[in-house]
Amino acid sequence: MPQKPSGKHSLQTRKLKENFVFFKPGPLENRLYLVVDDFGDMRSMIKNMLMACGVRDIKLARNGSEAIEQMEQERFDVVLCDYNLGTGRDGQQVLEEAKYRHLLGLGSVFVMVTAENTRDMVMGAVEYEPDSYLTKPFNKDFLKTRLEKLIAKKHNLLVIEEAVEKRNYSKAVAILDEKIAAKPPNCNELRKIKGNILVNSGKLTEARALYQEVLAIRELPWARLGLGKCDYLIQNYQQAIDEFQRIKSQNPNYTPAYDWLAKSHKRANQLSEAENILKQAVSISPKAVPRQQLLGEIALVNQHQEIAESAFTKAVQHGRHSVYKHPSNYANLARVTADNHDGASALLVLKQIDLDFNNDPKADFYQASAESLIHEAMGNSDLARASLGKAAELQKSFDQSEDSDCAIELAKTYKNFGMEEESVELLKGAILNNHTDEELMDEIKLTISSLEMDEQTLGTIDSIREEVLTLNRKGVELAKSGQLDEAAKLLKETSTRMPANRTVNLNIALVLLMSMEREGANPNMIDEIKGYLARVAKADPNNSTLQKLYGRLKIMMAKTAD
Amino acid sequence: MNFPDILASLIHDMKNSLGLVINTIDDLGEELHVQENPKLGTLQHEARRLNSNLITLLSLYKIDKGQLTTNIEEIDVEQFLYEISVDNQATANNMGITISYESEEGLVGYFDEWLMRGVINSLIGNGLRYSASQILLHAEFRDDYLVLSIDDDGNGFPQSMIEAQSAQQQKKPEQGETQLGHYFASLVAHMHSNGEREGFIKLANNQRLGGGSFSLWLP
Repeated sequence: MPQKPSGKHSLQTRKLKENFVFFKPGPLENRLYLVVDDFGDMRSMIKNMLMACGVRDIKLARNGSEAIEQMEQERFDVVLCDYNLGTGRDGQQVLEEAKYRHLLGLGSVFVMVTAENTRDMVMGAVEYEPDSYLTKPFNKDFLKTRLEKLIAKKHNLLVIEEAVEKRNYSKAVAILDEKIAAKPPNCNELRKIKGNILVNSGKLTEARALYQEVLAIRELPWARLGLGKCDYLIQNYQQAIDEFQRIKSQNPNYTPAYDWLAKSHKRANQLSEAENILKQAVSISPKAVPRQQLLGEIALVNQHQEIAESAFTKAVQHGRHSVYKHPSNYANLARVTADNHDGASALLVLKQIDLDFNNDPKADFYQASAESLIHEAMGNSDLARASLGKAAELQKSFDQSEDSDCAIELAKTYKNFGMEEESVELLKGAILNNHTDEELMDEIKLTISSLEMDEQTLGTIDSIREEVLTLNRKGVELAKSGQLDEAAKLLKETSTRMPANRTVNLNIALVLLMSMEREGANPNMIDEIKGYLARVAKADPNNSTLQKLYGRLKIMMAKTAD
Repeated sequence: MNFPDILASLIHDMKNSLGLVINTIDDLGEELHVQENPKLGTLQHEARRLNSNLITLLSLYKIDKGQLTTNIEEIDVEQFLYEISVDNQATANNMGITISYESEEGLVGYFDEWLMRGVINSLIGNGLRYSASQILLHAEFRDDYLVLSIDDDGNGFPQSMIEAQSAQQQKKPEQGETQLGHYFASLVAHMHSNGEREGFIKLANNQRLGGGSFSLWLP
């Protein structure tokens, strides 16, 4: 350990160490470790270092699959994972899968071990970040200090993570405020977490104030990004674009700014700008699958077939071992291959779906949908019809709110077969079921324009949305005037036409709750309400109205129990 | 593939080997269980200097290709200095030198942690050669800059170097790896900017420990 400096500074050095001891004796020792490295010497080196720090429980994994298998078996407190793991998953993909599948506990620490040449690669990832990066070589003492710090930090944030996990955002914010008020050295880190929670829970005014407060002291990319997100969410896309552009010019390697910039351009219907930005982002960090996917989709609309082919090729290639693997990328790659090259190579791309997906109905659907078009173009009419039938059958079995992307995909295929009526019907259904989903409405508008469909044939998106709004409004007005039964009847009728529509489902639940609150609890009605709420919870578990209604339902359930 | 690319790729490979060498030497040190071992100190010191130099080379290569950008983050400076001193402690101990650090409480800095760690490790590497018995890392907030200094109790920098710095802040080095290290430190400091202001370096003698004092000023 380093020599403690004499005089006034020795106090702090001591305080630093007491902090570690304070929350749990032996912050390193009594925890479970996983070391992931494809290089045997490195695995045993790190294991020896940990043992020299007094750690006893250490598991080893040689590659990404072994790491995931181990994490499925046990909850590790600390994972030390090399970025470069040979073939199969890389370290970032292990992290993504572990987080996505909740294989790590809230207090777990994930450390990415990198070499200099992989550092930039890792930094450009899209969504999930490790708790820390360690660059090789490092020694035992360094590892120990770093882990002590990370474990202490996680412990300090655990109550907040727990509150967020339970969607108790106000509690999380209250704890954060208390911690921030004490002005600790990691104050801005706490502000960053608070900003994210505020944005995710829709408190945009408060989030904006927080970001502005931070930016008044110093220009920090995460705070500027937060400000831009607020603008994006209130649909002020030009302002959002300005904010993201500013980050990009000051921090050319900060890829989140590129992703949000592209999203904003897309919403502002500036598709060539969006494509350009994404092209720059993938050249900085080519392995992010969602980014390649978005680039491919936009390039397709812009009719840049070469760029689309390259983007979907990378989305498929880098997605193979990733939680971001999606069959639509294979379908798009197949279609663009058929256009750029020939049908036989396109069918080979689709064959790959059989190998990379294991009896996944969505994968089968995308395969069938793309296959039908390619067969048609190759003159195999019978095969084309069979595939189209299979795709239609599968699509019907999907959840109409969650899987609206499949409805859009099938609509495109129908249109290409000249089946305009079926195509319009599917798009209408997607709008009816999801009328408040702005991004989906954009998607549908894009589809309409790329299929050269007349928006008029759709009865225009806006008038369909107006229809849903009117029905909902009528139901709510009836309920307000006390005509609860009539309200419920109207809304339930509406619901049969658009069973996955969130607003309709929430309104039915609300009306039924109001009638129970007036006339007393009723177990049948409680079950009915649960059914409607479950439809919403499946697609949008964070919905704040949903959470409130669950609260009111709980009170009713307690009454039936009495 | 051109020569600089081949060189860079080989350096990465050399760094991997060197990493294992450094870890193995550290292991041997642990097994020997002695407080101070000058021969081990030399091995550790030289291996770490090699590593620092390779990092400097790779970074200069990237700067040359316009690929090196800073990733500015908010850093708890005390923890940062603590980690660096812990990292260098074993080597210094074997050479009979103590490393300590001082920092204002709760001091927060804005810099690229990885780059700055590379620079400071390489400056400590220099310091270990010229210091008699002590190296001190010091951090403070002065004139609106975060000032990170590395002081030793050796004979200090030659007067010519101290005089030369004001005239030619960023001049390319003529010879010697000490100057190359300073040149790299200066480049990295300049890459740290806040608004209109850029970072810089300063050399001085007879500061905290009486010997040389190298400081990085970050806005």
